[in-house]
Amino acid sequence: MGSAVEQNVRAITVADRLRAQGISRRGFLKFCASTASLMALSPAMVPAIARALENARRPSVIWLSFQECTGCTESLTRSHSPSVESLILEQVSLDYHHTLQAASGEAAELARETAMQENQGKYLLVVDGSIPVKDGGVYSTIAGITNVDMLNEVAAGAAAIIAVGSCAAFGGIGHARPNPTGAMPVSEIVTDKPIVNVSGCPPIPTVITGVLAHFLTFNKLPDLDDLGRPLAFFGQSIHDRCYRRPFYDKGLFAESFDDEGARKGWCLYRLGCKGPATYNACATTKWNQGTSFPIEAGHPCLGCSEPDFWDMGSFYRALSIPTEDTTRTLVYGVGTGAVLGAAAAAVARSRKSKAKAAHYKVSVNDLEEST
Amino acid sequence: MSSSEDRAVNAFREQIDGPIASYLSSCVHCGLCAHACLFFTETEDPRYTPINKVEPLRRVWKSEYTFFGKLASMLGVAKKVTDDLLEEWEPLIYDACTLCGRCSMVCPVGNDISYMIRKTREGMVAAGYAPDGLKGATQRAVTIGSPMGVKFPALQVQIHNVERETGLTVPVDVHGADYMALLSSMEIMNFPEYIGALAKIFDKAGVSWTLCSEAFEATNSGMQIGSSDLEGELLQRVVDGAESLGVKYVISPECGHAYYALRWEGPNVLGKKYPFQVIHILELLDQLRLKGKLKVEDKVDEKLTFHDPCQIVRKGGVVEEPRSLLSLVASDFVEMEDAGVMNWCCGAGGGVSANERAQPLKLAAFKRKKSQLEALGAGTMVTACANCRINMEEGLEENNMQIEVIGLTETLADHLA
Repeated sequence: MGSAVEQNVRAITVADRLRAQGISRRGFLKFCASTASLMALSPAMVPAIARALENARRPSVIWLSFQECTGCTESLTRSHSPSVESLILEQVSLDYHHTLQAASGEAAELARETAMQENQGKYLLVVDGSIPVKDGGVYSTIAGITNVDMLNEVAAGAAAIIAVGSCAAFGGIGHARPNPTGAMPVSEIVTDKPIVNVSGCPPIPTVITGVLAHFLTFNKLPDLDDLGRPLAFFGQSIHDRCYRRPFYDKGLFAESFDDEGARKGWCLYRLGCKGPATYNACATTKWNQGTSFPIEAGHPCLGCSEPDFWDMGSFYRALSIPTEDTTRTLVYGVGTGAVLGAAAAAVARSRKSKAKAAHYKVSVNDLEEST
Repeated sequence: MSSSEDRAVNAFREQIDGPIASYLSSCVHCGLCAHACLFFTETEDPRYTPINKVEPLRRVWKSEYTFFGKLASMLGVAKKVTDDLLEEWEPLIYDACTLCGRCSMVCPVGNDISYMIRKTREGMVAAGYAPDGLKGATQRAVTIGSPMGVKFPALQVQIHNVERETGLTVPVDVHGADYMALLSSMEIMNFPEYIGALAKIFDKAGVSWTLCSEAFEATNSGMQIGSSDLEGELLQRVVDGAESLGVKYVISPECGHAYYALRWEGPNVLGKKYPFQVIHILELLDQLRLKGKLKVEDKVDEKLTFHDPCQIVRKGGVVEEPRSLLSLVASDFVEMEDAGVMNWCCGAGGGVSANERAQPLKLAAFKRKKSQLEALGAGTMVTACANCRINMEEGLEENNMQIEVIGLTETLADHLA
């Protein structure tokens, strides 16, 4: 049971928290504006976001880490600290998180159970890592409870689930062939709760805070694409927003990692860039507080926010090799087409001339009236 | 001799050319042609949908020119051209189609369906599937010289009568004349007044013309039955006659299919250019009118209308000429609905009139013309095709309708100044 002190802590709003942290109101509104624009919301929504966040009570969040590498947590906690975004993370009442909580053993599990009981039907469940289901789920257990059992138990009382990272969203590396543990994404186990997939290996921290801000402001989840990802962040491909796109359009490609093209920053398509088939906000939001993103560092996109990216063949194999010399290819194509066409026509002509040779001349004798 | 099925398939193969292949592949199965065909509209029998009539030809095209058709042939599941199919389709192709070409006018992808049916007939006749009546007519045309069995002596009798009535000479076998007139045997036997009309008009206009004793018949049953071989044989007689007389022009009479065969199919069937020009009588008369050589003294007072013969208006493009000519003699001329290039066929062209089996269907199809005429209330209908004319007379009589049918040329001749 939560003490009176805890209740008081819960009553503290984001605004109070920000002030205590020395964040100015101006800085807070800037965050609200950038969140609105990231989420593709109208500028008119900025005051609404600010009002909602200012008055939001800390919602209880239970974070379950299953078959994972902690990269998602690393991404979230390290890269943006101590930013406004991390404050939003702090603002939630993170009642259970393996990596971050001080408690261990029975005390830790008690915290989870307490949070579940006190906030039944209202808490947010964040999951990172895939869930192994093979052989009764024995390949990953916490406090003697299999991941799949724990997920089912905690999900039952959750208002919504945020599947953080490609493992929770699509199965990730655990799910890659031959998938020895029978790893599954959250969405294949829990089917009766709203789920947001914040995919990526790891996902962009701003996307998580954006989804949380949206939930706090509108009390519902944002619009999702067909893979359950927030459209505002996953609506466009890396390729379409890539600063190297003009080189692709001109047909200027780096052929190796140390050739002239690579040094000149040409398109990495031929080095296996999966940007054209990958939907994420990397090219616009970037990483490390907006410093850069992989392509900017000279490496092709791996496509980590797409399902089964581990099983898509080499990271360095191009999606498909673009045409070398368009004019020549076109000439060959037209030539081949003409030859095939001429061959088809020749076959048809010979069939027709054979028919002509076999012409049956109709004479009056053929006009015998039937009796 | 190969089997009838083989002969049909081989003939269809011969007929599949660029236009046919593109028509068949561009058909979108919309069914619009059905509503353009009077055999469909008057019976509502979906088998009479024009494009359906080319099914035997389509099967050969499909199995030899399309990927899936070839695949089906390889697997032995393609629909074949069989005797049963040909027998079933014979009435659709000959009894329920006058080659009027109205379907070709409405096809949204521009398929000339009437041309396709004409080509389909090539395979039908090669395999022996043609109506008896039309076979007989074609046989007479080839062996005797005319589908109605008219020989030159019979024409001579009619010429004699005309000369006696008009007091004019009807020139025969005049070498070096400008124009050689052809006749349809329908005109010789039923409407000899056409010969008199020519004599009167040409006399007044000073046209140098002649008939040819070796080639007076214009009707081409070979074209109607769909045999280019026989069509060519009949056409060759006309070409030989015209060449022997050294004429500059050959005049197609008031007969739709004769004009179509002579003017448009002839040079293709014979594979050579004519040493003369073909002109339809209405075209010549309108030329005379424009030169001021055709003058009338009085007009017909009665309300009259004009029936456009399909082959002349749709395939020949002779639309304005008859109207200009009628404006000379008609004081109360009214147009039928759909007049001009979309006119409804009389129901008896393309060999249907020679096909006794088609008689009930032909009369059913006449309902269209009947309702057109009833809506108009005209007492006289002028036309420019002896075959249309005789079919109209028959249809009107069958329906107890009191409407006079006359030919345009003789109407003009009757009112000459």
